[in-house]
Amino acid sequence: MMRFVASRRAVDRALFLGPATILLALFFLVPVLVDVAIAFTDMGRNLKVTTFTTENVERMLGGDRRLSHVMLVTLTYVMCTLAIFNVGYGLLLSLLTTALPDRAGAFFRAVWFLPRMSPSVVYALLWSWVVAPTDYGLLNQALGALGVAPIDLKSNAPMLVVVLANGFVGASFGMIIFTSAIRSIPQHLFHAARVDGAGGLSLVRHITLPAIRWQISFVTIYQALSLMVSFEYIWLLTNGGPFFDTTVYALYVYRRAFENGQYAYGAALALGLVVIGVSVAMILWRFFDMRALLQKPRIEVG
Amino acid sequence: MRFIKSFAAVLVGAAAIAGAMGTAHAEDVVLKLWARADRSGPLRAGNIVAAAETLNAALKAAGSDKVVKVNVHEGPATGFDADALDILKAFAVNQGPDLYVAAHEWIGEFAKSGYAMQLDAFIARNQWAFGDVIPILWESSKYDGKIYAVPQDSEIRMFFYNKDILRKIGKDEAFIEGLPAQVEAGQFTMQDLSGLAKEVVAKGAAKIGIIHRPNVGPDYLMTFAAFGARFVDESGRQLILPKAEIKKGLEWFAWNAANGVTPRNNTSMTWDEIQSSFKKEESFIYHQGVWAVGEWMLGDAKGAVWPKDREGYFRKVGWLHAPAGIKGGAPANLSHPISYVVNPKSKHAELAAMLVAYATLPYFNTKHAVTTAHTAILHGQRSMPAYADAWYLEAATPMLARSTFLPNHPDFGRYNGILFKALQGVETGRLTPDKAIEFLEDEMQNELKASVKIVAKLN
Repeated sequence: MMRFVASRRAVDRALFLGPATILLALFFLVPVLVDVAIAFTDMGRNLKVTTFTTENVERMLGGDRRLSHVMLVTLTYVMCTLAIFNVGYGLLLSLLTTALPDRAGAFFRAVWFLPRMSPSVVYALLWSWVVAPTDYGLLNQALGALGVAPIDLKSNAPMLVVVLANGFVGASFGMIIFTSAIRSIPQHLFHAARVDGAGGLSLVRHITLPAIRWQISFVTIYQALSLMVSFEYIWLLTNGGPFFDTTVYALYVYRRAFENGQYAYGAALALGLVVIGVSVAMILWRFFDMRALLQKPRIEVG
Repeated sequence: MRFIKSFAAVLVGAAAIAGAMGTAHAEDVVLKLWARADRSGPLRAGNIVAAAETLNAALKAAGSDKVVKVNVHEGPATGFDADALDILKAFAVNQGPDLYVAAHEWIGEFAKSGYAMQLDAFIARNQWAFGDVIPILWESSKYDGKIYAVPQDSEIRMFFYNKDILRKIGKDEAFIEGLPAQVEAGQFTMQDLSGLAKEVVAKGAAKIGIIHRPNVGPDYLMTFAAFGARFVDESGRQLILPKAEIKKGLEWFAWNAANGVTPRNNTSMTWDEIQSSFKKEESFIYHQGVWAVGEWMLGDAKGAVWPKDREGYFRKVGWLHAPAGIKGGAPANLSHPISYVVNPKSKHAELAAMLVAYATLPYFNTKHAVTTAHTAILHGQRSMPAYADAWYLEAATPMLARSTFLPNHPDFGRYNGILFKALQGVETGRLTPDKAIEFLEDEMQNELKASVKIVAKLN
């Protein structure tokens, strides 16, 4: 009987954990292993491996003079998009829309959610039209109405275009998380503060922000990582240019591997991105003391 | 009883043999053709499909029981480079086609990897199809001295200049009509061209002086060639980066951008913006190839109406080679043939090659030439009425005399990609020509290693 129970338990474990384990292994672990393997080969455009080498890693760590510039571009892009839009603007939107009457708040949130719902190609195309350098670009039409000469943001301030386009999509993620967090703050805290004479800004500073601290930390870490590896809007809008002005790390990997056919070097660069991503995640985890969030509550809230 | 049994056995045996013969009769041979989905050349695949009918008729007449069917795979790649990378991927996982369409500069890579059939003997055996191919075109199909592909079309690239704009700034007809001859004689140089374009812009006759393609491609290579640059050494096996000549080309682009001749954002414009600006006569010079005439220059495409007849068109537009870099030098042109390649490992490689032979015949090729405005691959096509009616092809064919080709080196695609980046860096003002040369040296040494030799200057 005991043996039957034990084997039944093993079967149950396999049944419950099996599918997830297989999926994790297939789509997360195996690609990393394949990437590591390819990074140490000479795989080129014909996908043939003739020798194993550390040349790609050496090139990444020392020989590639583009890489330091690409890292700087990535840092600028991630920091600006994250601070200004994904966290900053997302927070502002959630504070403002929760302060409005419910219906109006929901309307504005829905408007800000639109970019996320539109297909990336369509969204990027719309941006291309907005910033088109001709007289027909939306921005230039607006400027023209004010008597200002047409400008070419895509050539003269490409990073601004890339940050704006990504930020308008990214803000909605923070907005949704922060809104639900603000909604779950017990109302009596606000009432009590009001009785004590607190103004709007004090409420935000002393009640709302401390209460949604964990959500802010989570959104920061999550979005930092997702910005670091995403490049589709940049690729569609500026293709990383002009020159290398908006070539972020992930796009650089893509171009080396799939546009130039240097699969092995692309794999080595991707490996570098994994290492950077894990390091950034660990530093931020430490910085925000996320361990405290995951601790078991000391009291039962009933 | 025994008799009946043996009779039945004979009947069953005969039926089996007849059945086997029945299935052997009319053997379908399905050939997979890979051709990029390309609006500018649907008959690259279409001619092979049509040639299969002719081939089948010939097979039937010869008593063969084979019936060739062509299964076309249209790759979605946006250019021939991306498509070639896709074909290489397909070969790597044993899904390669039996025959495919590729830009000629990729032949080296395919041949080196064993994906392109060596065709010298086949061509020698089938002179009825290949005997009239314009000889210089075979150069574009060679790797290491041997032929690995059959040219499918040819083309002429040129600087299109708007004669009406020159009239607006007061140039006389003798000057306007004499420009091609001046260029041919080496008397009108690249710098003269830039100077003229600057004058046009300064006098307000056009917004843009010179405009060119926005992405990687062959056009601008003839600009560098005009300054004396070559991209491979005499053997054809070693890529070279002649720094002095390339720098002169880059300085030309830098001068144009700094003097308002070429917009700094030329490489981030769309094809449509570029072509419309020439058609609407906002740009004085447009650099591309003869197929542009057929595609959008005649009639009402791209936002303006231009004459469709020969006289009307040539009254408005003239064609130039890339003028010489220095006075007295030679102008340059560049042809970029697309080719048919046969997979040597295909079970039916010989039949696939035979399809290419049929598709090379004047009847098929002229259909492609006149519908897509590409120049001929056979001398004989020029006397065909349909080809002669396409007056712009007839007018462009003599320009083939100045033609050069891209090197058929496996790494040239990457070389060109890096060169384009340097051009973009200079034009957008991100790099000075000196810094661009440093960039080229660094990138090429890192990416192409021993494939490219960096030389200070050629002569």
